[in-house]
Amino acid sequence: MSTPATPPRSLAEALRARDDASLAQLLRARPDLITPVPTDLTQLATRAGTRASVVRALERLDRFALQTAEALAVAGDPASYEELLGLMAGDGGDPTVAAALPRALGTLREQALVWGEDTRLRLVRTARELLAPSPQHPSPTGLGPSVQEASAGMSPGRIQEIVAAAGLPSTHDSVSAVAALTGLFTDRKRMAQLLGGLPEESLDVLRRLMWGPPYGQVTADPAPRLRRLLDLGLLLPTAPGTVVLPREVALHLRGGLAHRATEPVPPVVEAAASYRPQVVDATAAGQAYTALATVEELLKDWDEGGPAVLRAGGLSVRDLKRTAVALDVPEPAAAFWVELAYAAGLLASDGEADERYAATPAYDEWLEQPPAERWARLAEAWLTATRTPGLVGGRDAKERTLSALGPGLDRSAASEVRHRVLTLLAGLPEGAAPTAESVLARLRWERPQRREDDLRSRLAQWTLSDAELLGVTGRGALSAHGRALLGATAPGAARPVPVRSDAAGAAVAAADAALDPAGAGDKLPVHHHPVPAPHPEPLSAAEQAVAVAAAGRLLAPLLPEPLDHVLLQADLTAVAPGPLRRPLADMLGVLADVESKGGATVYRFTPGSVRRALDAGQSASDLHAFLTAHSRTPVPQPLAYLIDDVARKHGHLRVGAASAYVRCDDDAVLNEILADKRAAGLGLRRLAPTVLASQADPAALLEGLRSMGFAPAAESAEGDVLIARAHAHRTPPRTAPEPVPDGPPVPDATLLAAAIRAIRAGDLASTTPRKETPSAGPTGELPRTSSAETLATMQAAVLTGEALWIGYVNAEGAASQRVIAPVRVEGGFVTAYDHTADEVRTYPLHRITGVAELADD
Amino acid sequence: MNGPLIVQSDKTLLLEVDHEQADECRRAIAPFAELERAPEHIHTYRVTPLGLWNARAAGHDAEQVVDALVQYSRYPVPHALLVDVAETMDRYGRLTLSKHPAHGLVLTTTDRPVLEEILRSKKVAPLVGARLDPDTVVVHPSERGQIKQTLLKLGWPAEDLAGYVDGEAHPIELAEDGWALRPYQKQAVENFWHGGSGVVVLPCGAGKTLVGAGSMAQAKSTTLILVTNTVSARQWKHELVKRTSLTEDEIGEYSGTRKEIRPVTIATYQVLTTRRKGVYPHLELFDSRDWGLIVYDEVHLLPAPVFKFTADLQARRRLGLTATLVREDGRESDVFSLIGPKRFDAPWKEIEAQGYIAPADCVEVRVNLTDSERLAYATAEQEEKYRFCATTATKRKVTEALVRRFAGQQILVIGQYIDQLDELGEHLGAPVIKGETPNAQREKLFDAFREGEISVLVVSKVANFSIDLPEATVAIQVSGTFGSRQEEAQRLGRVLRPKADGHQAHFYSVVARDTIDQDFAAHRQRFLAEQGYAYRIVDADELLTEG
Repeated sequence: MSTPATPPRSLAEALRARDDASLAQLLRARPDLITPVPTDLTQLATRAGTRASVVRALERLDRFALQTAEALAVAGDPASYEELLGLMAGDGGDPTVAAALPRALGTLREQALVWGEDTRLRLVRTARELLAPSPQHPSPTGLGPSVQEASAGMSPGRIQEIVAAAGLPSTHDSVSAVAALTGLFTDRKRMAQLLGGLPEESLDVLRRLMWGPPYGQVTADPAPRLRRLLDLGLLLPTAPGTVVLPREVALHLRGGLAHRATEPVPPVVEAAASYRPQVVDATAAGQAYTALATVEELLKDWDEGGPAVLRAGGLSVRDLKRTAVALDVPEPAAAFWVELAYAAGLLASDGEADERYAATPAYDEWLEQPPAERWARLAEAWLTATRTPGLVGGRDAKERTLSALGPGLDRSAASEVRHRVLTLLAGLPEGAAPTAESVLARLRWERPQRREDDLRSRLAQWTLSDAELLGVTGRGALSAHGRALLGATAPGAARPVPVRSDAAGAAVAAADAALDPAGAGDKLPVHHHPVPAPHPEPLSAAEQAVAVAAAGRLLAPLLPEPLDHVLLQADLTAVAPGPLRRPLADMLGVLADVESKGGATVYRFTPGSVRRALDAGQSASDLHAFLTAHSRTPVPQPLAYLIDDVARKHGHLRVGAASAYVRCDDDAVLNEILADKRAAGLGLRRLAPTVLASQADPAALLEGLRSMGFAPAAESAEGDVLIARAHAHRTPPRTAPEPVPDGPPVPDATLLAAAIRAIRAGDLASTTPRKETPSAGPTGELPRTSSAETLATMQAAVLTGEALWIGYVNAEGAASQRVIAPVRVEGGFVTAYDHTADEVRTYPLHRITGVAELADD
Repeated sequence: MNGPLIVQSDKTLLLEVDHEQADECRRAIAPFAELERAPEHIHTYRVTPLGLWNARAAGHDAEQVVDALVQYSRYPVPHALLVDVAETMDRYGRLTLSKHPAHGLVLTTTDRPVLEEILRSKKVAPLVGARLDPDTVVVHPSERGQIKQTLLKLGWPAEDLAGYVDGEAHPIELAEDGWALRPYQKQAVENFWHGGSGVVVLPCGAGKTLVGAGSMAQAKSTTLILVTNTVSARQWKHELVKRTSLTEDEIGEYSGTRKEIRPVTIATYQVLTTRRKGVYPHLELFDSRDWGLIVYDEVHLLPAPVFKFTADLQARRRLGLTATLVREDGRESDVFSLIGPKRFDAPWKEIEAQGYIAPADCVEVRVNLTDSERLAYATAEQEEKYRFCATTATKRKVTEALVRRFAGQQILVIGQYIDQLDELGEHLGAPVIKGETPNAQREKLFDAFREGEISVLVVSKVANFSIDLPEATVAIQVSGTFGSRQEEAQRLGRVLRPKADGHQAHFYSVVARDTIDQDFAAHRQRFLAEQGYAYRIVDADELLTEG
């Protein structure tokens, strides 16, 4: 960044002075600034100063950069680099902090959170407001207001007393008195003297407040040790019964440090254990295979009508439980598999009236792919999805239960956190499994979370467990194929210079570099070849597809080869000592029940399972042939017997549907009917010599037979002949409907009179002309400007802090003119200090008729 | 990637028997995994917390277990399973029961939060006394069994290091004249003795009595033997006199008829559990002498009240003998905590292969009900159904045909229903032994059978256990106690005693087709099929036409 000839006077000017590359950095780091693209740099600066954008930018800072920003928020405005360094490194001047500070400041500058040269560093106003301590929002620094802020509401007399007590020359001017007091508090030597004269118990009080929170309670009649502190201004009253430790005093006690623990370097990700890379890859591959089997089993289970979709969307708790039991996994894992299949497009709602979940056509295609490619598809879906199965079972902001496959599970950070966690794992030597705590600590450093629910930490934790389930990691260490998912290039191959634009980037690189030679590496057997460096940023869709395919290729040789045989045993079980070829597995799945899963599959033959196979169209001889063909051992006699025994009974009873029948003792007549062409439409079939079944309903059948010249009689369910005669159909007893009048009942006279009175009063109030408010504007007329102009002028005024003259129409339609100093323009409202009303007010922009700058004084 | 073992996600281990490393692998996993099924090709072992704690109690650690799994596994072992194994094993031994010089029995912990957790349990609170220090709490000596049982249920099994009392010494020697303990029996005695207390699992006919005798010779102290019934008690006595230095006078019988208390006393479960006016009058037997060893025969039948008494006997060495740890009431964990962990186990087929039990041919004969019987069966009350189909007349014909076919061999016909047995006895011209047969008469008939004077004997369930009829070569089961698996095993055991001429034994189970009899039979046979005794199934018609 080139130093301009004249120092910039505003952020806009500072931005104007930046070159294109540096602006590009800013926009990459804060993409919200270009949606939509601003018209000029002033507008860009305005937008960079809006609250929403600043909050977003601050949330994305790493801990040290954030601490730096927090320190700037409690420093003077503007602050010099030395002042900032003092706050960050303390009086002792911590060399690591001093070394890291330029980077952190660079990050803040790059993100347009800080502008100005080193002598006049300015934190943008919104950031300052967000980070500066206030009673409502205590700062993470634990510092209180400055003497000047804290003494703002105090009477001049009281200030004089303090100044006198502190042994400063008295002055009648409150402002200079406060300045003198500030000067005393910031002067280490004089302050040390002052504190040296205090009794130990008073110092204890100060020490208790020194790291924050800086507020304390006092009684109306404070103890002598407190009295003394209050007298000297070392504690200042903020409200009745409450005192605060002024910022300068706290900083003196802390040795100048703004933070209790300044964290200039990211915590190192520690390896908890290390395994041979082959073991890791094999374990991960085993789990990858299990993942495929689980997804397949899940969808197979849902083959014949999956669970119903809840009205609010998603899977009911009961269905999830049932699925968990069916898959023999805990419920959170079941939610993971269901969501994974959903994310991979293998499962969706069928969209019917009675909405159910079912496998998609893509699932059938997926099944046809080789195992490694099937896994790659799951892995890609997992890595890029924003849906977060870990949330299932929790509640959303409205206290509604979050259900699997339901709405409200998307977390935009999920994909990025997954990528980041895997990247951290990839930073370790091959085969090294990190401790979850160190990964979480590192992530917390990279993105400190201000909110209560530390979503990123939870996401990271889920990532670690999901990665293990999916076989991306094995025994906690990233596998070779897992590494490939990140798009790591092979060692020695040329790799693109990574563009590090995020705040943590540079620091991460430094930490990784430090880790490689000395970190966990020394706990491991020799691994001298360099670990391929992963891409630091989530990959683009195309890059990701390439990386996933590469991962699949790495995984393929590790997956077990499917077998084409099983072992049959006399206890009516079959054991497949490994994964089975698909047609074999499918057939066995029908013929026998799965008893145990894992590397092998144990099937049990039961009468029920054999019947299922017979129902599926197999004959006993087919089954015998199938078993003989695929068994390595002779088919045990009890199994052969079981199949024959079930087949013997199978189909003994037949069930079908008919809607009417024809019965006649004379089968010749029935023969005649069947032979008659006119009977074709009646769907007749002979069940027995004297019985015909018909698909037509009884009335149609009667009609049809009559038209053929027969004289059939209808039969009741009991077999009696029905007598056809007029029979009036009646309902069960019913009450007559109550009249439902249109609108409310007619009001009585009293009610009417009261209503009319009220309407007249309201009418009078709104039609009576009002007195005009005396004009405060310079010309006496309402300014009129277009809304775009109004907005631009407002935003400019926020930056410059100038006052404006506006025309304003209130909720009753009364117009007025006001002089305001806008503080914030956001969400269609302008928050401003209203000189006319002498208070801070918020006006909707659409009620402002126009705006004009005030004539210069 | 080519091991004989496949680790399943449900914590079962599949061992391919024909694999070259199978034996090695079996030895490596046997200490911690229970053999669940042993059919011909693939044996199934199960890893349970109980099994893992068993292994810990026997001095194995988690690393050995994990190593064994990883070394022999064909596919990568799921990490979660390994973690679970390590965590489960780690729970054992956090609490130990030991003797304190001043306070008697104390429970100490190496992990204070565990002690805090269990002390907060309502079930533990009444069993413990004063807290001596943060890690130690006093346990009342009489609650030693109770607390072990409770802690096991809470998932924190305690290691019992409090030792045993020696009991009153009594010289007992094995009289190995012309015979010797078989290698596996020796191994069983040794394992038991080193473990202190525990259960030995051996198939019927494999000589469990001798394991008992061997242990007594090892203990050389007064011994209390608990058996299922009087006949069995007499047999124990007979065997002990024959196989050890003990004389008739040194062995007492404590049963419904006789109440002798001698240095070695054999008591029946029945007399111990006799209740009069709400108290168990014969319980004092346990305190009547300073027993050094207590032997529980057929431990899988141990009645619930005896468990309660056993809880009070934790300072004595306890030996449990059984053919199967399968309990129809699922109280396996009580056996573990009160008698002790499994100390020895040998698959049936293995012992058969060594020639110590006779090979058996198991056949299920399916008979058809006649049309009128089918109608009657369909309309029978639910509780009458089994009795109805189990006693169908066709079974009689089949039994007669079988008896004819094996004429000249020693045949046992076993059944559940007395009417059916009486009828069979009448048709076959064979004596019937049932519950009401006096003991003297029973002994006489058994002796006659052993001597070959009678070749066919019809018995009810009284003969299920511990009746030594070594010459029986054919057993025909016509009905059973519903689906009891261990009954089937016991009945097969009747014919598994090694034959003088080494020929095959036959076990026939006659079952009515398409009825609950068939379902129960399937359930009963499962245990044996899982032990590698494959059933053949034969149609009654086939059999009748052949015969």
